[in-house]
Amino acid sequence: MILPSYFKSALAPLRFMLMDRLAVIGLAVLSLIVAMALAAPLLSTHDPRAVNEVEDASVLVRSGDAETGIVWRLENSLGDVAIQAADDDGTGNGIAVGREGTAYRYTVGEGWSGIETPVDADLNGVAMAADGKALAVGSGGTILHLDGEEWQAIEAPAPADLNAVAWLDAGSALIVGSGEEIWRLDLSPSPQVTEIDSPVGRGFPLYAVARDADGTMLAVGDRGLAIRYDPADGSAAMERLGTSRQLNGLHISPSGNALAVGERGTVVSRAGPEARWSEETVAEMRALRSGWVGDDGAAFAVGRNGTIIERAADGEAWQPASSESERHFRAVMAAGENVFALGSDRFVNRLAAPSADHWFGTDHLGRDLYSQNVHGSRIALLVGFLGALLVVLIGTNVGLIAGYFRGRTETVLMRTVDVMYGIPFEPFALILVLLFEPSLTIVILAVSLLTWRTVARLIRSQVLSLRERPFVKAARVAGASDLRIMYLHIFPNVMPLVFLELAIIVGVSIIAEATLSFLGLGPPQSISWGGILHNARLSGAWRTAWWWNLPPGFFIMTTVLSVFFISRSLELIANPRLRARQ
Amino acid sequence: MSRRSYLIRRALQAFVSLFIIATLLFFLFRAGLPDPTTALLAEGLSPEQREMVRRSFGLDQPLWQQYLLFLQNAVQGDFGFSFHYRAPVADIIWERLGNTMVLMLTAITIAYVIGVPLGAWLSWRRGTRADTTGIFVGLMFRSAPMFWTGMIGILVFGVMLGFLPTSGMRTLPYTATGFFDKIFTLDFLWHLALPAMIVALYYLGSPLLIMRNTMLEVYGEDFIEMARAKGLPERRILYNHAARNALLPVVTQLAVTIGLAAGGQVVVEVVFSWPGLGREILNAVRTSDFPLAQASFLVMAAFVITLNLLVDILYSTLDPRVSFK
Repeated sequence: MILPSYFKSALAPLRFMLMDRLAVIGLAVLSLIVAMALAAPLLSTHDPRAVNEVEDASVLVRSGDAETGIVWRLENSLGDVAIQAADDDGTGNGIAVGREGTAYRYTVGEGWSGIETPVDADLNGVAMAADGKALAVGSGGTILHLDGEEWQAIEAPAPADLNAVAWLDAGSALIVGSGEEIWRLDLSPSPQVTEIDSPVGRGFPLYAVARDADGTMLAVGDRGLAIRYDPADGSAAMERLGTSRQLNGLHISPSGNALAVGERGTVVSRAGPEARWSEETVAEMRALRSGWVGDDGAAFAVGRNGTIIERAADGEAWQPASSESERHFRAVMAAGENVFALGSDRFVNRLAAPSADHWFGTDHLGRDLYSQNVHGSRIALLVGFLGALLVVLIGTNVGLIAGYFRGRTETVLMRTVDVMYGIPFEPFALILVLLFEPSLTIVILAVSLLTWRTVARLIRSQVLSLRERPFVKAARVAGASDLRIMYLHIFPNVMPLVFLELAIIVGVSIIAEATLSFLGLGPPQSISWGGILHNARLSGAWRTAWWWNLPPGFFIMTTVLSVFFISRSLELIANPRLRARQ
Repeated sequence: MSRRSYLIRRALQAFVSLFIIATLLFFLFRAGLPDPTTALLAEGLSPEQREMVRRSFGLDQPLWQQYLLFLQNAVQGDFGFSFHYRAPVADIIWERLGNTMVLMLTAITIAYVIGVPLGAWLSWRRGTRADTTGIFVGLMFRSAPMFWTGMIGILVFGVMLGFLPTSGMRTLPYTATGFFDKIFTLDFLWHLALPAMIVALYYLGSPLLIMRNTMLEVYGEDFIEMARAKGLPERRILYNHAARNALLPVVTQLAVTIGLAAGGQVVVEVVFSWPGLGREILNAVRTSDFPLAQASFLVMAAFVITLNLLVDILYSTLDPRVSFK
C-alpha cells in the first residue's frame, strides 16, 4: 500500500523524461557510459596498466650534414617483424633480412621492396656480392642463395643456428653460427658445405664474419673471441683483438679499415690492414649490435635503445647521433650515399599515435590509452554516484528535519549550512585529501562533505510549505508519528526535487573527482580520466600528443553533459511552473 | 524586524561563521599534521632552529593555548612565516590574491557581459534552434572540466597557432615595482587572454541559463502584457521591461561567483602556471607549508563569507519584497 506510491513517484520522472528529446539523449549516453564502465575489461583491447611493446621492421636514414646537424630520420616501416642484418653490393644497392624469413631489397632510386623467401625461419645474416647475388643464413641451419629473383634453399649439414655469412670470392662464402660452427660454402659445381674445425672448440657462439683485405676471413663472437680463416691452406687460428667482451658486429672496408662492436659499448678498430687492433673509448654503455667503417675511416655503430654513434674519420672521437630513443637496431648499412640503421626488436611503444592496434594511441610509458579511458569511466561513475548518493542522503535528511521540526533544531542545522556556505569547495577538498592520505574514501568524502549544503537548503524550503498542507495536518490528526509523517507523507512529495539534485550532483561529483585526480590527488593506483590528464601534463608530452589529452576530457564532458540534460528535464518535473511556459 | 536590525544580525552571523571556520580549520590541521615542522627537517633545518619555529607557532604549548594564539594572530592579520618561502605569509597571500582576482574578475566580467544579453535574447527566441544551440553550448562549457579546455586552448592557440603565451603573467624576465606596474602592460594582457577566455567560457553558462529562465518567468507577468497592450516594440519590451526585472537572480549569482573566485580555479592556475592563490594553496599543502595553507584558506573563506553577506544586503536593497526573517 505504501510501496506503490514510492514506485509511482520514482517512475513518474522517467515517464516525463521520455517526452523530452534532450533528456532521452542524455539517458542514452549515460547508459552507454554506465555500460562501458561495467564491461570495461571486455571492452578494453589491452591491459590499461601494461607496458606495450611492439616489433617492427624499422628503417632510419641518416640525413643532413655537419652544418645543419645530422638527424637519423625514421622512414616508413617495412613490416612488423624485426630486421636482423643487412649488406650492400658496393654500388648503393642492398639487401636486408629479418625474423620469420623476411627479406627486403634496396634499389638505388627505387627504395625498399619486399622479396619472398621460401622459409619461415629467422634470418640472422646476409651477404651481398657486387653482381647482386646474395646469401642469407638463419636459425635451424637455414641457408638461402639469391640468384636473380629467386631464393634457393641450400641444405645444411646440421640444424645449427647460423648468425652471419660473408663472401670469400664469387663462388664461395664463410658461415658462422651459435655453436662455434665455421662452415665453408662452395656454390659450384653444386652447393656444398664443408665444416671447418675451430681452433677453440668449446662451442662459443660466433656472431659476425667479414672478409679481410688480404683475402682471409675474420669471425668474431662471444668473450672477444676472434678466429681467422685462411682459404689458401684451409686453416683456422685464434687472433687477439684486445677485448674480452662479446662482439656482435664486424665490418672491414675494402682497403682494410676494420671495426668490431659489442656489448656495453665495446668498439675495437684497426686503421688499415697492417695496423694493430685497439679498443676505442665511447661514451655509450649499451650494447652495440652492428658497425660499419669506410675506406676514409668514417664509421657508424648502432645498438639497443636507439643507440647510434658515428665517427667522421679515423682517430676522431665517436659522437652520439640524434635519433629516437626507443627502437633497437640490429644492422647498419651504408649503401652509396645513404646510410641506414635497421631494426627493431620488441621496443616499448611510447607516445604512439592512434593506430589499428592502439585506437587512442599510447602514453609515455607505452600503455594503451583507449583501455585507460574505458577503465577511467569506472572511477568517475563510482565517485559520481556514491558521492551524489551520500550528498543527497545527508542533504535530504537535514532539510527534512530542519523544515519539519522548525525551532531550535532548524536554527542549529541551517546555521551549520550557512557556515558551510563560507567554505570554498576546491581548496577544502585539496586540504582534506592532502591532510589525510589520498584514498577512494577520502576523495568521495572530499567531494560530498560540502556539497550537501545546497540540497539541505532546497529541501528545507520545500518542506516548509509542505508541512502546512492539509494532508500533513490530516495525518497528524490521525495520530501518525513525526517520523511517519516526515518519511511517508512529506518525503514522497520532495522526491522529484531529490532526483533533480541527485542528477546535478552526480555531474558536480564527476568533475570534482576529475579535478582532484588531475591535481594528482585522486585515489592512488587507480585509472581515471582526470588521472590520464594528470599524467599527460606531468610528462610534458601532451603539447604534441593530442591523442593523449582529447579523449579523457571528452568523456568527462559527455558524461556530465548527459547528466545535465537529464537534470534539466527533472527540473521541469520538480517545478511545474517551468513546465507551463515551455 | 526592521531592515537595519536584519542587517546587523546578518553581519554578526557572518562573523560567527568565519570564527567557526577558523576553529574548524585549526583543528583539522592539527588532526592531519600533528607536528607541521616535520617537513622542515627535510629542508635541512637544524633541531635548534626547528625548536625555534615550534616556539614561534606555540607548538610547544597545550592545544588550547595554541588555538588562542592562532586566533589572536589571525585577528591581527599576522599569519606567521611561510616555511617554504621564508617570508611573511601575509605578504605572499595579498600578492597572490591580487593575481587571482585580476584573472577571475576579467573572466567573470566577460562571461556576464556576454551571458546576460545572450540569455535574454535566447529567451526571446525560445523553442527555436538558436535557443537549443545556446543552451547546448552553455551546458557544454559548463560540463567540460576547465583543466581540459585549458589544455586544449594551450594546444591550439599556444602550440599549433603559436600566437598566445601559455604560462605565467608576464614574459620573463621582467621587472615591476608594484602590482599595478605589473598588470598595466600589453604584455600582461597578452598573457591574460587565454586563461581569461577559458574561465569565461566556463562561467558563461550560468548567467546565460539563469537569465533565460528568469526571463521566461517574467514574460508571464502582467506588466509585460501591459507593455504589449501599449503597443511597445518587442525589442523594447525585452530589454527595458523584462530584462530589468529578470536581473535579480543574475546579480545574486554574480556576487556568489565573485565570492568563490578568491579560491580561484585551482586547476586553471595550475594549467596556466598563473601565480594565484589557488595554485599557492596547492603548493603549500604539497610542501607541508602549513602557515601558508591555513592562511590562504582563511582568506578565501573570509572572502566568500563577505560576498555572501553582500549578496544579502544587495538583495534586501534590490528587492523590497524580501522579508527580514
